[in-house]
Amino acid sequence: MKRILLTFLIIFTAVSLFSCGGDVEDDRVEITFWHMSPVGDPSYSSMKTLINNFNDSQDLYFVKATGFSFWDYWDKINVAVASRTAPNIGLSTLDDVVSRAESGVLYNISDLMAADTSTTYAIDLAEFRTNQLDFAEYEGDLYAMPFSSTTRLLFYNLDMFDELGLTEADVPETWSELETLAKMFDVVNDGSVERLGFDPTYGDTTYHGWLWQSGLDFFDDDLMPNLTTQAHVDVMNWILDFNSDFTRAQLTAFGEANTMLGLDPFSGERVAMIVSNDGLYQTLKTSNSDMNYGVAPIPIPDENGIRVNWSSGFSLEMYDNGNLTEAEETGTFEFYKYLLTEEIQEDLGESLGWLMSHISAMENYVAGNPILEAILEEVDYAVDKVYVPYAPAWHASDWQTYYTQIQDGDLTVLEGLQAAEDHYLQKLENYNTINE
Amino acid sequence: MKQPKKSSIKTQLKRENLLGYIFASPWLLGIIVLGAFPILASFYISFTQYDMVSAPDFIGFKNYIILFTNDDIFWKSLWNTAYHVAIAVPLGLLVGICLALLLNNKIKGMSIYRTLFYLPNVVSIVAMSLLWMWLFQPSFGIINELLSPIYDLFNMDPILWYQSASTSKITLILMGLWTAGGSMVIYLAQMQDIPVSLYESAEVDGANWLQKTFKITLPLMTPSIFFNFIMGIIGGFQVFTIAYIMTNGGPSLSTYYYAYYMFDKMMSDNAMGMASAMAWILLVIVLIITIFALRLNKKVVYLGDEG
Repeated sequence: MKRILLTFLIIFTAVSLFSCGGDVEDDRVEITFWHMSPVGDPSYSSMKTLINNFNDSQDLYFVKATGFSFWDYWDKINVAVASRTAPNIGLSTLDDVVSRAESGVLYNISDLMAADTSTTYAIDLAEFRTNQLDFAEYEGDLYAMPFSSTTRLLFYNLDMFDELGLTEADVPETWSELETLAKMFDVVNDGSVERLGFDPTYGDTTYHGWLWQSGLDFFDDDLMPNLTTQAHVDVMNWILDFNSDFTRAQLTAFGEANTMLGLDPFSGERVAMIVSNDGLYQTLKTSNSDMNYGVAPIPIPDENGIRVNWSSGFSLEMYDNGNLTEAEETGTFEFYKYLLTEEIQEDLGESLGWLMSHISAMENYVAGNPILEAILEEVDYAVDKVYVPYAPAWHASDWQTYYTQIQDGDLTVLEGLQAAEDHYLQKLENYNTINE
Repeated sequence: MKQPKKSSIKTQLKRENLLGYIFASPWLLGIIVLGAFPILASFYISFTQYDMVSAPDFIGFKNYIILFTNDDIFWKSLWNTAYHVAIAVPLGLLVGICLALLLNNKIKGMSIYRTLFYLPNVVSIVAMSLLWMWLFQPSFGIINELLSPIYDLFNMDPILWYQSASTSKITLILMGLWTAGGSMVIYLAQMQDIPVSLYESAEVDGANWLQKTFKITLPLMTPSIFFNFIMGIIGGFQVFTIAYIMTNGGPSLSTYYYAYYMFDKMMSDNAMGMASAMAWILLVIVLIITIFALRLNKKVVYLGDEG
């Protein structure tokens, strides 16, 4: 009996181990690619077709692609990059390319482009925006290519505008116009806010976004925190005072009701105007919303306002695990270039619903669609956030605590900004201590 | 005639041992690869600067020194967690015991009641947190609706629950009591083991329900109370999910627990070395408290008559 069990155990172990081996499709050089169109995702078929088309066109190379959902993707790619088991090509965030380039896990794309003798799929840098290419650069060379972009802009509900006898000509362009117009849409019933014109803390608004429009920032050129000037205080006060007709509790209840009901406040017609990104266009499109709406640049300060919005695009990266043969390297770059061609970028834009980075591809894609055309126009004014090595999440977990305390009135504006600045300085000091 | 070779007992024992190891090998392999290695690796990483992209760089005790001497949020998160453990563990024990006492009666449909009280333990913590957010919502939540006559009576403002730094920790603790049915099952199991003869003798002596509870039931339940106490402390120091979902660690960092900060160190700051150091500090804290609690074991836990 023991012998039978032992034999079974050995066979089971052997089968389990052998089954870990990958499928061998053919004798072509295999290139691995990770993307965000998993099985079941609406974009899966299109992504698969794009990859199959490439594979069919190749005698030497074969792409083996794996799709993960957006939420799973980041853990997977981060662990894979850290353990040098990353795919040959993958997507990541454009604003921190420099950190990976510095760590030596990315191929130098400039070098690959210079050494490329292939005549197919050449990368035309003129087709990519400088404001994106700058983020993919490290020590004068490109270590990634911009793959997609996000842009933020003002969405306004034209049905609500009609209700008040307003037209698109009344869409606000400055902060004061926004403030005046927004109040006209506010609806309060029995002490509870039922509709808001606008709130500068809702949707995709950020404090740094408002600062940028005022020519300010969180950090100076040396990445030192710089938050406590009078101008910073003024911008924060503008945010706080915008809906000062209501208490914080009223505004919080209004916001939480949206969250708990799973409602986007704009598509749920709870706000007349909101700052959101191009994703909201896709949401409204896929939900077959019959809402009559328009998009416009985010209103800017009345004096010396700057037309700018926060982008957060993806980069296309070639990972250097230190084990690629020359043939694998060449094949990987071939597929890399393929993904950046005009035709493929246009197809990807259509299937993924993303704003891709290729300028002509996107111009073709949005042609004839006024909303998409307006959205694409804003990409020219979109800027990624700066990468701060000692506080990579400076705009998120680091800042939100102080932002919330200021909004809740637990700290005065100056106290909150000072506390945030002190927090960044402490992080800088600790970062320097462990990196000295 | 050739005699068949007899294997010695020693050889047979060796063979049996070898077979034992072979059969246990999947588990041993699992604990080495998935358990021991990550633990030892995290210990080493805690002495390094490791951003999860570059190779770890040995920096000695710097991570520990920074955490103890120049990190305000470390102490804040530790305080929040200690507060949570200090209130949530005893309260959880109390509610669990009370539930067990209530459900240790022979009435019709008791198994249904027991199931209902245990049910929250099998509900997803995410769903549970979202549900409680609805209930505790200060403006339109049902709890404040029910309490509104009291607010009116005393002319007071509604409690802001998880939206106020002064009540957020307690709110999460109260919410956690919803899963007290988990420990209740353990208490009930032990209650069923208490000999009926003890209660019969007490009844003959004229003991009432309260006397039977405090003189028989509770003393004989101390092993399971102690077990839940230890498990509660260990679990309490790891509190994370409810704060992550309900409050994002706020307001004003009031629910920013130790595990949450450790998570942010790793995921937001890419500081795996610092996060590992925090994990080891937590281990030492829990270890010290557990050792201290185990010393109490002999004094407070009834382990049967000696001799």
